[in-house]
Order: sequence, then structure tokens, then C-alpha cells
Amino acid sequence: MEDPQSAYSVQLEIFNGPLDLLLHLIKKHEVDIYDIPIALITEQYLEYLDFLKDVNLEIVGDYMSMAAELGYIKSRMLLPRIKEEGEEEEEDPREELVRRLLEYEKYRDAAAELGTMEILGKDVFLAGYDRREMFGEPAEETEFVKFDLWSLVDAFSKICEDTKKAETKEISLTPQTYTVEERKNQIIEIMRSKKEVLFGDLFEGDKNRMNLVVTFLSILELLKDGMLNVFQPTFEEPIKITLREENGR
Amino acid sequence: MDDRSSLQNIIECLIFISKHPLTIQEISEFLKDVEKKEITAALDELQKRWEDMGRSFVLGSVAEGYQFRTRPEYSQYIVEFNKEIKKFRLSKAALEVLAIVAYKQPVTKIEVEKIRGVDCSSSVSILLERRFIEIAGRKEVPGKPFLYRTTNLFLETFGLKDLKDLPTVKEIEKIKEDFKEPE
Repeated sequence: MEDPQSAYSVQLEIFNGPLDLLLHLIKKHEVDIYDIPIALITEQYLEYLDFLKDVNLEIVGDYMSMAAELGYIKSRMLLPRIKEEGEEEEEDPREELVRRLLEYEKYRDAAAELGTMEILGKDVFLAGYDRREMFGEPAEETEFVKFDLWSLVDAFSKICEDTKKAETKEISLTPQTYTVEERKNQIIEIMRSKKEVLFGDLFEGDKNRMNLVVTFLSILELLKDGMLNVFQPTFEEPIKITLREENGR
Repeated sequence: MDDRSSLQNIIECLIFISKHPLTIQEISEFLKDVEKKEITAALDELQKRWEDMGRSFVLGSVAEGYQFRTRPEYSQYIVEFNKEIKKFRLSKAALEVLAIVAYKQPVTKIEVEKIRGVDCSSSVSILLERRFIEIAGRKEVPGKPFLYRTTNLFLETFGLKDLKDLPTVKEIEKIKEDFKEPE
């Protein structure tokens, strides 16, 4: 069976938020942005939201509030519009949304435009560029990619997959297991002797799923305890782990 | 060698060794006896000469200064030759945040998020780390949020002379006028 998770994450990359998605839907259905068929667009929007659900909660949150907004506009469109005497003409319930869409589109296009400039480090270079301290020094501390728990989970699931392939070939009747406590101590020992270890290397000796999980939990606990640092220099590079300097010394 | 070409050469070597785009201000502070007008003329002439020579690099005007930069058509050789070279990388999301800061500066993170409709914390911190944006102060509203603006490194990286050199964006027309009454 194919991993549904990976199919989703590809889709997620396409849109940069609810406004980006809405602009896409408007363009796809070739509708007039000043006269958006709210019912149709809302339906399509919710369809996509369904698709996003249980993939990445953090991202879905941003999309949810727009879904609520669309629902509200839709309901206001359905209500009869009673004009009271002396009252200014009622504003179209879609107006605020259209204003936001156009505003966002303007900057989205500007960003695309910026991306086509002759960019230093991509299109053009300087003499001695390779030795240049460009993007914020010291590189050691600041240049790391921001990542969250998901990156770790992601890396862990990759390791699990790789191990699963190997697992079938080698069946041990008395698998060697250890507890989280034991494993935590082992990891500390490894870190003391090696200083810097690749995240994946800590799973090297783990031949079965149980041990993999124990190792992963141990790493998470050590992170929580503030014993370890975890970082990723760039997206292309593997996640690294170091022992955190002991305090009070 | 006549005076004019030696002035050009002096300026040229200053630009050549400079770590950042060298500004007219910096040149004229050094060459006190030379009029600013003459320096500007020498720079124009230098730029034209390098351009006309059809070399692999030109004298570019970026970040309110002057800098020798390779022509874009040679980037593939440079990147292939030096695989370790620090390549420019920025996500689409971060580029959007950067564009908003560039056009609306000074601007707070909340204002950027309002335009994009999504949380922008990680993009903002990446842009700060890469020194494409910096803190410009605090906004005098409750909570006193930070205001951000773009840096000279931003101009240098995107090959912009100054902020006025940003690509023009279409202004939002008065929406109310275009807004059609629903049937």
C-alpha cells in the first residue's frame, strides 16, 4: 500500500495559505473576482480542507478560520436584504474578502517578481563569493533550518521504513530489548564520547520496531530534559544531535 | 595616463577590493579633493567600459553602491565548479513575507500575517537570520510589536539599486467602484 501521508504533503506545498487557495479556485473556475459564486467556491474550499485534515494540524488551523468566514458570507448572501429607510446601501458581504484577496494577490505577484530578479548566489556571483560571510554570522549558530517535532517524526518514520525492509530478512527469536531508562543512559554515553551524532546513527543497532520506538522515546525525553540539542544545518543535511553543555560549571 | 582614466582606475580598485557595494559617499570621503560630480561621471564611464568590453562580469549598481558581479549566463559554470558555494535559497512563503516587508516597511509581523492569512513566525525568523530584514523599532500600539524593514543585504542580494528600484506592483483599484451588485 502506498503511504497516503506522502501524497498529502506534496499537495500541501502547493498553496501558501487560505487566500492562495481561494485565488487558485477563482482562477480555476474562471469566475469574476468581483462576483464570486460563494456557494461553489465554499464547496470546493471545504473539499480541499477535507483533504488537508489530519495531515498537519498547525496548517489546517489557518484554513479553518477562512472556512468559517466563507460560511458566514454564504449565510449572509442567503438572507433577504432589508433596506431600512434612510440607511446607506448595505455592503456586499463579499466585499471585505475581495479586498483581502486582491491585496494578497498583489504581494504574491510581487514576490514572484522578486524571485525572477538576478539574485546573488543564484544567478550572479561576486569575486571571492565562496569565502564571503554572507548570510548572518556566525554560521554555526544562526544558519540552521527551523524545524519542529514534525521533522523529527518524519525522520523517525523514514528510519522505521528502512528498518522494516531489513527486518524481514533477519528474524531473531530472542530480540534484545532495553527500557527507555537504559537507553537514555546509553545515548548519554554515546554523546559523551562522540560530541556530535547524526540523528539516524542513534538507531543503528536497533533491528526491530520495539527498539526503534524505545530509542526515539529516549531521544524525545532527553530533549525534554534539556540534555540534548537537536538541529539541522540545512534542509539537505541530516538532523544532528549534540550533548547540551552542562550548567553550573 | 590622463587624469580621467587614472581617477577611474583609482575608483575601480577601491570597488574591486571592497567587501560591500561601495557608495559614492564612501568614495568621495576618501577622494576629498575630487568633486562628487567627477566621481559620478567616472563611475558612469567605468560602468559603460565594463559593459562594452563584454566580459563575464559587469560593474553593477546595487544597494546604493557599486559592485563587480558576474553575468547571470555564467551561473551554471560557477555553481558546477564550486559545489560548496553558498547558494541562495528561500521558500515561497519566506519570499512572500519578504515582499510584503519590502513594500510596506516598516511593518509588524501581525500586519504581514493579516495580508497572507497565515502564521509567518518562522519566515520572519528565517529572514532575520539571513539578515534580509531587521528590526526598525516598535509600533506605538498596545503590545508595542516590533517593526521590520529590509536591509542593504536584501538590496544587494536582489540586485536592487534602492527601494525605489523594487518592481512596481499594480495598485489595487478602488474596489467599491468595480464591485458589481449581485443579481
